[in-house]
Amino acid sequence: MKTLTRRDFLKASGMGVALLGSSGVSSFAAEAKRRVVVIGGGWGGATTAKYIRLSDSSIEVTLLEPNKEFISCPFSNLVLSGVESLKNLTMNYDGLRKHGVRIRHEAASAIEPDKKRVRVGKDSLEYDRLVLSPGIDFQWDQVEGLAQAKDTVLHAWKAGPQTVQLAKQLQSMKDGDVVVMTVPPVAYRCPPGPYERASLIAWYLQTKKPKSKLIVLDANKDIVSKTGLFKAVFKDYSNLDYRPSQKVEKIDVGAKEVTTETGDKVKYDVINLIPPQRAAAIAVEADLVGGDKRWCEVDHVTYESVKQKNIHVVGDSTIGLPVPKSGNVANAMGKICATAVVHLLNGKEPPVIAPGNTCYSWVNDKEAIAVVNSYKIENGKVVQIEQKLTPGKSVGTAQNSLAWRSSIWNDVLG
Amino acid sequence: MWNCLLVVFVLITVVLMCAPFNAAAGPLDSSGAQKALVCSACHGFAGNSPGNTIPIIAGMAPNYFKKAIKDYAEGKRPSPEMEPYSKYVLQVGIDEIADYFAVQLRQPAKARLDSNAVKRGAALAAQCAACHGSNGEGDAFRTIPAIQGQPAGYLQVQLTILKENKRKLDDAAVEDAKKTMLKPMSDADLAGLAAYFSSLQSQ
Repeated sequence: MKTLTRRDFLKASGMGVALLGSSGVSSFAAEAKRRVVVIGGGWGGATTAKYIRLSDSSIEVTLLEPNKEFISCPFSNLVLSGVESLKNLTMNYDGLRKHGVRIRHEAASAIEPDKKRVRVGKDSLEYDRLVLSPGIDFQWDQVEGLAQAKDTVLHAWKAGPQTVQLAKQLQSMKDGDVVVMTVPPVAYRCPPGPYERASLIAWYLQTKKPKSKLIVLDANKDIVSKTGLFKAVFKDYSNLDYRPSQKVEKIDVGAKEVTTETGDKVKYDVINLIPPQRAAAIAVEADLVGGDKRWCEVDHVTYESVKQKNIHVVGDSTIGLPVPKSGNVANAMGKICATAVVHLLNGKEPPVIAPGNTCYSWVNDKEAIAVVNSYKIENGKVVQIEQKLTPGKSVGTAQNSLAWRSSIWNDVLG
Repeated sequence: MWNCLLVVFVLITVVLMCAPFNAAAGPLDSSGAQKALVCSACHGFAGNSPGNTIPIIAGMAPNYFKKAIKDYAEGKRPSPEMEPYSKYVLQVGIDEIADYFAVQLRQPAKARLDSNAVKRGAALAAQCAACHGSNGEGDAFRTIPAIQGQPAGYLQVQLTILKENKRKLDDAAVEDAKKTMLKPMSDADLAGLAAYFSSLQSQ
C-alpha cells in the first residue's frame, strides 16, 4: 500500500479548497464584516433583510423602520367594510430578529452615497450596499386645499390609524349620507386597490345604509386594473356611481365639496381622498428618482439604482418594470435583490431571476377576484410571460387569498 | 497521520459538495433554489405551504411535479394562479425547480382538523388507498401523488373539481373510476376525506 506523503495531502487539500470555493455563495474567508443597511420594513424591505441573512449569515444587516409593528395594506380595505380587524393585519418583527437582522425603530434622515453611509438623527451607519424600500409619499400640493386639510381628509392608503378612522366615519354617518372617494392618476400604490375599496364600501352601504350612495371620482380614463371584472362587480351595486376622467383638483372642507378637472363640483358627507403619489422623500432627496421626479429607475436583475452605485431600490417606489406596485411584487423584488446583494458582496455574478405577481381583490364579504402575472428576463429586462384573471368573483378565490396571506406574511416576516 | 487528515478532508469536501442539495442550505445556493424563489410567496419557504388551500410541494416526486406543471400550463388543471406560474417554470427550467423541491424536507400541514371529519373520511378512504396507498403516500413510479399531510383545504378543492369534471386526468379509465367513486359523495364526505388524508403523516 502506498504511503501518503505530505505532497499528496497538499494536493488533496488544494482540491478541497477549490471545491469549497465553488460550493456556494457563502464565503469562509476571514474578510471584514460586510454591512447592508435596509431602509423601510414593509413588504420589500423586510423580505430583503430576511433573505440576505438567510442566504449569508456572515453579512450584517441593519433594518431601519420607524414603526414597531408591520401592518398589512393588503386586506385593509376589509377593515372599512367591517369584515376584518386591523389587529389581524398587524404583526411584529420578531421573526426577522431570529434571522439576526438588527432592527432600529428609527427613520433614516439622509443618505450620503459618496461616503456610503446613512444618517439616523445624529448617528450614522456605514454600508457596503444599501437597499431602499421606502414606499410612497403623497403629493399634497397636487390638490388645492389638501395640504392644509391633510390631517382631517383621510387617505387610509397606508394601513394604520387612518384605516380605523375611515371605518368609524363610515359606521357613524347617517343613512342617506353621500360618500365620495377619489382615485389618483397612475402610477400609484396597488392599482386595483381603489376599486376593491369602492366595491367594499358599496357593499357596506348596501348592507347597513341602504339610502346612502358612493361616488367614485377616478382621475384615470377607465378602471386601471382587473377592468372587466370590476365592471361586472360594480353592476351589483346600484348605490355606486363611478365617474372616470374626473381628476380632483380642489377640496373645500368648509363647503364639504371637491372640484374636478372638468369643473364639476361634488358634495360629500364622508370623503376618502387618495392623493397622487411618488417615491418616499428619502429616495427623492438622495437623487434616486428619474426625470419624472417621482419614481426610482433600477436595473431589472439586481435592483441597483441606475443613478447611484451600491444603492438598490425595491417595492412601490420603483418604476420601469412592467409590474404593478403590489405587495407580492415587493416581496419578489426583495428576494431577488437579496440574492443579488449577497452575490455582489461575495464577488459573484448575480443570477437572473424574474418576479411574479399574485393579486387578490375582495368585492363583498365573502367573494374575491384575482389577477396573476408571470415574468421572465429577456436581454436584462423583465418581460411578461402571461397574465391570467379569474373568470369572475368566487368564494374559492377569496379562500385562496387567505391561504396566500398566511404564506406571504410568513415569507416576508417569518 | 496524513491518512487520517486526508480522510477528514475528503469527508469535509463531500459534505460541502452536498451542501447545495441539502434542505438546510441557503436558498441561494443552487440554481433551482434561485429559480424557485418566486414560488415561496404562496407555497412557503422550501415548498412547505402554511396556507390551507395551497399544496405543500416540498418533497414532491419530480415526475409528479413536472406532470402537474404541464397540466396547469395546458389547462388540464384550470387554475388562474398556476397557469401563468407553470409557464414561468417551463420557460426558466422545470428540471432544476422539480429537483429543488424534491429534496426539501416535507413538513405536514399544521392546521387543526375536525376530528369528526377525520373519522368520516377514514371510513371512506379505502377506495382512495387503492391507488394513493394506505397511508396516502402515493406511488412516484406510477406518477400518483402523495396526499398524506397535504392541507385539507387543498385536498377538498381537488376532490370537488374532480367530482365536477373540472380536472382532466391522462388516463380516461382512471378519470371515469374517480368520477364514479366521487359521484355519490356529499360535500361533507369530501371534507372528511380531505381531513383524513391531511391528518396522515409519513411513517
